[in-house]
Amino acid sequence: MKRRTFAACAGLAALAAPFHAAWAQNYPSRPIRLVVPFPAGGATDLFARELTQAMGEKMGATFVVDNKPGAGGAIGSTAVANAQADGYTLLLATTSTHAIGPLITKTPYDVVRDFSPIAHVGDAPSIMLVPVDSPAKTVREWIDLARKNPGKLNYASSGIGTIVQLTAELFNAQAGVSVTHIPYKGTALSIPDLISGKVDVLFDSLPTGMPHVRDGKLRALGVTSLKRSPLAPELPAIAETVPGFESNTWFGLYGPKDLPAALVARLNLAANEALADAQLRARFAKLGIEPSSSSPQDLAALQAQDTAKWRKIITGQHISLQ
Amino acid sequence: MRIKSQKDFFSGLMFTVVGVAFAWGATTYNVGSGARMGPGYFPLMLGILMAIIGLAIMFTGLTVETASGEPIGKWAWKQVVFILGANLAFGVLLGGLPSFGIPAMGLIVAIYALVIIAAQAGSKHALPSVLALATVLAVGSYIAFIWALKLQIQVWPTFITG
Amino acid sequence: MELIHNLSLGFGVAFTGVNLLYCLVGCILGTLIGVLPGIGPVATIAMLLPATYALPPVSALIMLAGIYYGAQYGGSTTAILVNLPGESSSVVTVIDGYQMARKGRAGPALAAAGLGSFFAGCVGTLILAAFAPPLTELAFKFGPAEYYSLMILGLIGAVVLASGSLLKAVAMIVLGLLLGLVGTDVNSGVARFSFDIPELTDGIGFVAIAMGVFGYGEIIANLSQPEEDREVFTAKVSGLFPTKEDFRNMLPAVLRGTALGSSLGILPGGGALLAAFAAYTIEKKTKLRPGEVPFGRGNIRGVAAPESANNAGAQTSFIPLLTLGIPPNAVMALMVGAMTIHNIQPGPQVMTSNPELFWGLIASMWLGNAMLVILNLPLIGLWIKLLSVPYRFLFPSIVLFCAIGVYSTNNNTFDIWMVGAFGFVGYLFYKLGCEPAPLLLGFILGPMMEENLRRALLLSRGDWSVFVTRPISAGLLAAALLLLIIVLLPAVKAKREEAFVED
Repeated sequence: MKRRTFAACAGLAALAAPFHAAWAQNYPSRPIRLVVPFPAGGATDLFARELTQAMGEKMGATFVVDNKPGAGGAIGSTAVANAQADGYTLLLATTSTHAIGPLITKTPYDVVRDFSPIAHVGDAPSIMLVPVDSPAKTVREWIDLARKNPGKLNYASSGIGTIVQLTAELFNAQAGVSVTHIPYKGTALSIPDLISGKVDVLFDSLPTGMPHVRDGKLRALGVTSLKRSPLAPELPAIAETVPGFESNTWFGLYGPKDLPAALVARLNLAANEALADAQLRARFAKLGIEPSSSSPQDLAALQAQDTAKWRKIITGQHISLQ
Repeated sequence: MRIKSQKDFFSGLMFTVVGVAFAWGATTYNVGSGARMGPGYFPLMLGILMAIIGLAIMFTGLTVETASGEPIGKWAWKQVVFILGANLAFGVLLGGLPSFGIPAMGLIVAIYALVIIAAQAGSKHALPSVLALATVLAVGSYIAFIWALKLQIQVWPTFITG
Repeated sequence: MELIHNLSLGFGVAFTGVNLLYCLVGCILGTLIGVLPGIGPVATIAMLLPATYALPPVSALIMLAGIYYGAQYGGSTTAILVNLPGESSSVVTVIDGYQMARKGRAGPALAAAGLGSFFAGCVGTLILAAFAPPLTELAFKFGPAEYYSLMILGLIGAVVLASGSLLKAVAMIVLGLLLGLVGTDVNSGVARFSFDIPELTDGIGFVAIAMGVFGYGEIIANLSQPEEDREVFTAKVSGLFPTKEDFRNMLPAVLRGTALGSSLGILPGGGALLAAFAAYTIEKKTKLRPGEVPFGRGNIRGVAAPESANNAGAQTSFIPLLTLGIPPNAVMALMVGAMTIHNIQPGPQVMTSNPELFWGLIASMWLGNAMLVILNLPLIGLWIKLLSVPYRFLFPSIVLFCAIGVYSTNNNTFDIWMVGAFGFVGYLFYKLGCEPAPLLLGFILGPMMEENLRRALLLSRGDWSVFVTRPISAGLLAAALLLLIIVLLPAVKAKREEAFVED
């Protein structure tokens, strides 16, 4: 499936060649700015820096990462939405910025109309973490525990409207349990409370949780991808107990709206080539990110699909800003 | 009722006004109750507390004797205007104002503008020495921030870099 | 003994030529960054991260750690010399440090900061090396209720920070609390007081307030005085080193600061921030020796204690980082990122699976501190020379560095406007006789306090008694009450004496 997409992209790029030659003869003639709407040093930022270094090599271009954090990704996204569509300003968006975020807060841009999808570059599943003293050793046991104690258990999250919270609410909805939301300013700060048992469960990214699991302070019950993830093959997928349960943080490369098709194709090709590199894949695995390859249409479809799915959860579980 | 301490009276006034403003703003959010606090609860309580303290300070300003009356004195408007003006000019020139159609002029131009304007706030600001200072700072900033620290700041005006 | 064996392993790693070099480079770079107001180590470390991929992990981490400490030491320098606290930890140093500089005692102030920090760093490193695992357990006992009570204690102590009117100090603290509430509320997701400005949804930046109130406010105030009255920096700089008497005064302050900083740094999530404030408060409450300058006017203890507390806290805050993977601040968060890239997962297994890395890093901490003292002490002479530059050249430079510094944090011109706005506010405070330091403490503590209060109530499902039924929390609240009485007692006594005399 992936190889076919790859071939499709290559074909598209070949078709675009004459346009490429005419329009973008000199592209890139100066450094390309990739806006990362998250602070430096986080997983998204590190991913962006690795990716752009590899893409730069493939394209013979220099990429510069520009961190524009704040407002849940809105500041960086606004900057790219307002930028010129000349291929020199791009955005690394995630589920939070382009699927969930706009459903919770108003943004000055429209996430579908004001951006051109370029490539779906990675996926990061979450894992279900409980304290090691928890009586539940499997997902099934946890669901039973929660059903016996409705409203008494707590889940931690990195804030309202984050993928961490929505994953937990998706679980609540699909497993039929009622667990109270305790927001934190970032999941790292919830870890001591999780270890000491003040909160009972957390759905967080692999790099945050696995060190504590290996150390024996936390237990991982499962991954949130539909099937077992190669990043943590020993963990069952929650979907094995709760059919159809899937929560995935995807990463996408976007440009401002009406980016010429030739540039989109060129960037898409470079991204896919970069992501195929084995060494890069190994480094991404440490960040808990599985590289993927795709066409721009795939990214647009993924975004639409995900938006619809989370919209259902947000209305169904009555998630909103008070 | 004479004002016995100008500083206390007016600072008390400032605190009261600010406290009331925050408390009023807090009511536009969901206040909730003590057990289930909403986003407006804490700011409302603090705003009210601040207003009360402000009133108390105003009271001491009116009643507690001080030796000099603690006058506020003249306001240094010239200095305020030039220092803040320099800051404003720097920001406008460095980043540009897209909504007003002003293009970004970059770091070097912004530094010159800032130094020239800020220097007007002092008493001695002969143009040659000010320009010399601006040049030293521009060169130094370029070396320190752009070359050494590789900060991503636009250096030259947009129409030059394209 | 195992500790000695581990430390010798660590020193063996740290003392290789390559690692020594990286440590030195990091320290120098960090000092330069720390000295430039506003430009923090975060931006630099983020930029250097990709460059460190090629380096072996130990070397990379040693260099990054060097940058971190260097920035701390450099930040104290700016705080003392030009009244600019680059980081929240330098806010307290400004109070007495700058006053000492104005009196021509910048040299002893810088030396006190450097030596106090070094001592605290050594002690902190030892504690980290010897007691990391048991101390982590202590951190687990702290839940939201305990944090809230600790912050109440801190706030009451903060009242002591100001030397002027008690009532005004309390008002400034409350104002700081309110300003800290601007931004997105973590418990409800609502952006409070942000007027739909996206840059305000994450709150007002600390750097913007600090640069504006302390930097611009001070400059405008200075310029508003006629040149003869301007005692910006007294021409006669008396001596570069502290006198014997200074050392005698400093020593207990350094010891107290170190003890406090080491204990508070262990708490994940910003315990170290309180350390400097708490140390200053405690110093202020101790009796002044005869001949000592009162606090707020340039008492060397007011520099030595918070600096020691800072550095001790910075060291021990590595404990939750290394054992739990919880970074105490943004810089450390980058370090975690760096470790992840190098395939090292911070957690207790780091000690057992990568002992050379763990102990090498600890040894390099001590090494970094030593290098920085050696670097900074001779530099004092250079800094003093800098102060003799005529003020008309100095102040535009400060205006510039504040603006660039704050811009470099987010590359957003909005931050520059904030500095300007708070510059005006700072001048206003100066005119009205209100002291800014308590405001900054309130600003830092406010959001944390509210977050923990609401979280504690959420967990207890609305039950307020949780604050007194949990033992540590109850203890902290009792201490807060005691402190409140101690703080108010002099004021009450004075009123009583007044009444007495009038009778």
